Amino acid sequence: MHNKSRRHFVQSAVAGSLLLPGLLSEMLAAHAANAGNPVAPREPQFPAKAKSVIFMFMSGGVSHVDSFDPKPQLFSDHGKQVVLDHPETRNRPGYEKIFLKRPDWKFSPRGMSGIEVSDLFPHVANQIDEISVIRSMHTSHSNHYNATLGMHTGSFTFARPSIGAWLSYGLGTSNQSLPSFLVLAPQMPYAGTQVWASDFLPGAHQGTRVLPGPEPVANLTRRVSSSTRQELELAALQAMNASHQAARPNDPQLATRIKAFETAHGMQTEMPSALDLAGETDATLGLYGLSRGQNDGFGWQCLAARRLVERGVRFVEIIHTGSSGNWDSHGNMADHGRLAPQVDQPIAGLLQDLKQRGMMDDVLVVWTTEFGRTPFNNTADAPGREHHNWGFTSWLAGAGVKRGYVHGATDEHGIRAVEQPVHVHDFHATILHLMGINHEQLTYRHGGRDYRLTDVAGNVVKDVLS
Amino acid sequence: MLKRSRHAYWISRFATAPGGIRWLFGFLAIVLCCSGVLADSDEEFFEAKIRPLLIARCSGCHSAEKGKTQGGLALDSQPGWQHGGESGPAMIPGNVDESLLIRAVLYGDDGPQMPPEDAGGKLPDTEIALLKEWVKRGAYDPRVTVVRRGGLTEEELRAWWSFQPLHRSQDANPSIDAFVLARLKSEGLTTSPEADRRTLIRRATYDLIGLPPTAEEVDGFLANESPTAYESLVDRLLQSPHYGERWGRHWLDVVRYADTAGENTDHPIPDAWRYRNWVIDAFNRDLPYDQFVREQIAGDLLHANDPAADYAEGIVATGFLAIARRFDHDSDKHMHLTFEDTIDTLGKTFLGLSIACARCHDHKYDPISAKDYYAIYGILNSTRFAFPGCEAKQQPRDLIPLLPPAEWAKTVEPYDRQLAAIDAELTRLAETGIRKTQLMAQRDELVARAPVREFAYAVAEGTIANAKLHLRGDPEKPGEEVPRRWLELLGGQELPADAGSGRLQLAEWLTDPTNPLVARVMVNRIWQHHFVKGLVQTPNDFGTRGQRPTHPELLDWLAGRFIESGWSVKSMHRLMMLSATYRQSTGDVSDEGHRKAIAIDPNNTLYWRFDRRRLSAEELRDSLLVASQQIDLSSGGPHPIPPTSSWSYSQHVPFAGVAETNNRSVYLMTLRNRRQPFMGLFDGADANATTPQRQVTTVPTQALYFLNDSFFHEQAGQVAERILNQPDDETRLNELFRIVLQRLPSERERETAMTFLSQYLLAIADIPAADQTRTAWSAYARILLSSNEFLYLD
Repeated sequence: MHNKSRRHFVQSAVAGSLLLPGLLSEMLAAHAANAGNPVAPREPQFPAKAKSVIFMFMSGGVSHVDSFDPKPQLFSDHGKQVVLDHPETRNRPGYEKIFLKRPDWKFSPRGMSGIEVSDLFPHVANQIDEISVIRSMHTSHSNHYNATLGMHTGSFTFARPSIGAWLSYGLGTSNQSLPSFLVLAPQMPYAGTQVWASDFLPGAHQGTRVLPGPEPVANLTRRVSSSTRQELELAALQAMNASHQAARPNDPQLATRIKAFETAHGMQTEMPSALDLAGETDATLGLYGLSRGQNDGFGWQCLAARRLVERGVRFVEIIHTGSSGNWDSHGNMADHGRLAPQVDQPIAGLLQDLKQRGMMDDVLVVWTTEFGRTPFNNTADAPGREHHNWGFTSWLAGAGVKRGYVHGATDEHGIRAVEQPVHVHDFHATILHLMGINHEQLTYRHGGRDYRLTDVAGNVVKDVLS
Repeated sequence: MLKRSRHAYWISRFATAPGGIRWLFGFLAIVLCCSGVLADSDEEFFEAKIRPLLIARCSGCHSAEKGKTQGGLALDSQPGWQHGGESGPAMIPGNVDESLLIRAVLYGDDGPQMPPEDAGGKLPDTEIALLKEWVKRGAYDPRVTVVRRGGLTEEELRAWWSFQPLHRSQDANPSIDAFVLARLKSEGLTTSPEADRRTLIRRATYDLIGLPPTAEEVDGFLANESPTAYESLVDRLLQSPHYGERWGRHWLDVVRYADTAGENTDHPIPDAWRYRNWVIDAFNRDLPYDQFVREQIAGDLLHANDPAADYAEGIVATGFLAIARRFDHDSDKHMHLTFEDTIDTLGKTFLGLSIACARCHDHKYDPISAKDYYAIYGILNSTRFAFPGCEAKQQPRDLIPLLPPAEWAKTVEPYDRQLAAIDAELTRLAETGIRKTQLMAQRDELVARAPVREFAYAVAEGTIANAKLHLRGDPEKPGEEVPRRWLELLGGQELPADAGSGRLQLAEWLTDPTNPLVARVMVNRIWQHHFVKGLVQTPNDFGTRGQRPTHPELLDWLAGRFIESGWSVKSMHRLMMLSATYRQSTGDVSDEGHRKAIAIDPNNTLYWRFDRRRLSAEELRDSLLVASQQIDLSSGGPHPIPPTSSWSYSQHVPFAGVAETNNRSVYLMTLRNRRQPFMGLFDGADANATTPQRQVTTVPTQALYFLNDSFFHEQAGQVAERILNQPDDETRLNELFRIVLQRLPSERERETAMTFLSQYLLAIADIPAADQTRTAWSAYARILLSSNEFLYLD
């Protein structure tokens, strides 16, 4: 049977039930629009610049002074001793003395804007005119686990809902055949599933993990051997549920669950089709550095993210690596040189692709990591860098964001965010603002308190707004 | 307490308030508005001279807005100084000499000297003169405020329902039904008729043991014409060992039970299960609730001198405290967060109060001060929590032996000595010989009789000390020391001089019969799990941000009955389940009364019908395993966790064990940082924070589970296996309906099923003929197991 007629078959089995003509479909229709559907699309609090978010997270801590934060003086002061009370060096044997370390990649001005980017990210550098670089990021913890949790939930200690869950709660999602919050995470990140948890928000807002491979979402693949079989089963189930419901009208739970089976049936085809790159042109695949038939790698994650936001998913997070084999280059910064090529062209490709399709007006692209890396070390010739939460770089691009712009600065050695510092809470407030939400007004009552993503802090970084 | 402090003079005589609520210290005023128009010279004088002076010189320590009211005095509002600190009004307008504030700034000998040396010292004479002039002119002050205690005005405090003593009903024959009917009648409504018997036995069985009744149990109940059949059913279920597994799970939700510590590596806790099983057992034996509470706070102290078995149980019960979440890389260094988690859970669990909101400042909405928080904090800080291990220190520490110290000395220590002696001699004997052979044999014999060394993940008394306030919640900024004591709201009792940590007293204070919250909170939880929603629909929040009870008299009557019953949880089940309110149906739409009720009370807050509910994640999984007969109904033990000596978990490679089991779901391993996917999908409890009420979300990914999950398909296949040996399709269908839904199919369902089977057989004509029947019946089993009738209880 053809796809369309197949779906029609199931829909008619549900909504046009012989047992209940009219009543059920009316309930379903009424219900889809009301509060019974936690992910029904909702209007933002004020006109939004962006309709959806692609949130790129580089796990492990990308070095700012080797990528987007040029520090000529760090080159020239290489080997000079500095005195700091830094969390990574305090009371740490062998770290009684610390020395500045020069960056391993050279910087040069790029694009019309002339913003300096290092050779670590040559492709992204070519797209710098699309980007607002925030060079004055700082965060509250220098451990991966806590900083990763903080970058996702605004909490560095207790478990709280993830930013994607908050946006799902605030705005719902426009494609009811796909979850509102998807996380393309081939590996488990630091802090595990807390990174995309809904915590006290209703479970419908939790991130659904998407994996490369034959079954990207748990239980997505039809287990029975033919679609005819599944449709027969679904039709019989829906008939039984309809008859059960006939004696129990006015119960939205029952109607919602009947609807959920229909959606799930659709999702079995909708999700694979969203992730099926076969229809992409060679030119598009080339943008992401993908070869035809390739269904993994960060290029796949980026292109899949574009396809998902295109289909109306509210928040797509793509995580590069996980809690190991990541950007945590303590031993040798040369490892950044291994990792950057995995993401550089895909990220640039995503920006170009979104631009070509006119999607930069609707999609907010976020690029971040949990913290930066120390511009110093305990010996003058140490090849690696440690965790650094006093200053690092994140960037925004797309809907509502200034193009080719630099916000804030760290000091001459990249040690502290000194000009217009942006804390993670401010970063979150800005993302919410671009989505049409006042971060102070997106609250959820839990245990007697109104919680929000930004806790009791956060200021929108107005300078990066276009 | 403050007698030696600089602020001694400001201590008040103020000690009691009506309603059994006593406040000793801590008055807080919050500026609500500061408006006014410059009109006369008094106002100009105040605005130009006095307001800036007060801000510059006094607000560092006496500003309600900043949350700093040393000595209880706030000078940033008129009512603040009018009410004054703990000695009363700070100023008497017009009377310079009698005004405490003026005496203080003059640095008189008979009272406090303000500002103190460490806050700038005595004011310049010009400023003192300004203050004197202000008082002399009548102390004009436009800063309007309301005086508050914690987050409440005194009036609000006296008026808030949950802080009042239990209300004794004046009714001659109070009962659940009488209270419910009275409310319904006032709205012109009444209850629905009693549910049919199959519905009743399914409802009662799931509610009490979390499992479906068997078809035979349903048959027996339907056939039982005795007037006490239902009562006997309830009694039978209350005696089931599976009762504790269901109701223990409710408790484990609230106390955020987990088998891992939750810090950066999510270290496993091999002994956590002992607390889990203690909770299950406590429900099964109907341990009086007040004792249940006390054991979890101070079981070790209550049973310090008891026989070994009781001693061990007392230790295990304090697992409630030990399972608190741990934090960060070196969790020893972040115990202030673990204590916050403990205080949060303790307050919400037992009292329905969000005490932890007062970590950084006085509670904004409830009468809880930061001092209250640190008074309890001191008790926890004087307690030694078992240490689970973490990234910085892999191995666990301070686990508590289950043997009393005397037994340990009698059994374990001699054994260790003997073994050490033998080993030493073996080492000395270089050469083999008779002596060595003898010794080896002795050693083997000894080891075979080795005493059992079991440990609990629990707590013990630690280093006794009061805590200091953490200013703005920051442990790096210690403030004044706060004596360990009870919440002022509930009496503020202090510890005797010879007290230990204070846990023993905390256990008593919590369950003091004059504390109106403990019984109310628990009967509300019991009600909630029978009636789907609580009488108070915010079961963890009885404070002013929570909801008021829908039936306050009923709640208080139940709480009173609970206490009178000797805090018997099982007697509460009986009371609730035997009521007509519980036994009513979910309603009949064809009935006119039903339609009227829906219009008036669509959310059924008045209980004009029974609320339908979805099975919980555990009930769903257990029911599938029951239907497939794959369930292992024995009690679960420890999880297969690698030996502690092998641990080297990191934030890069955290603990991520999975333990498959066909035990009931309450025995599944619960990780804090990696949620069990099935539990996540079906709204299981969040092991990172207290879960008073499961959410019920209905999402397509759940439907995908029923369509495609391998475990689900496997169970359905096993259900089909159970019926294939029946002689014909009709009997197979009957048996399938009885297994899954405990009823027979209707004529219409029989026809539909047969049509389905014949169509389905056509669709699977391509598979081997020998598999076709099994495959078709597995498909039909999936349909029944996916149905709303299976998943929802009427």
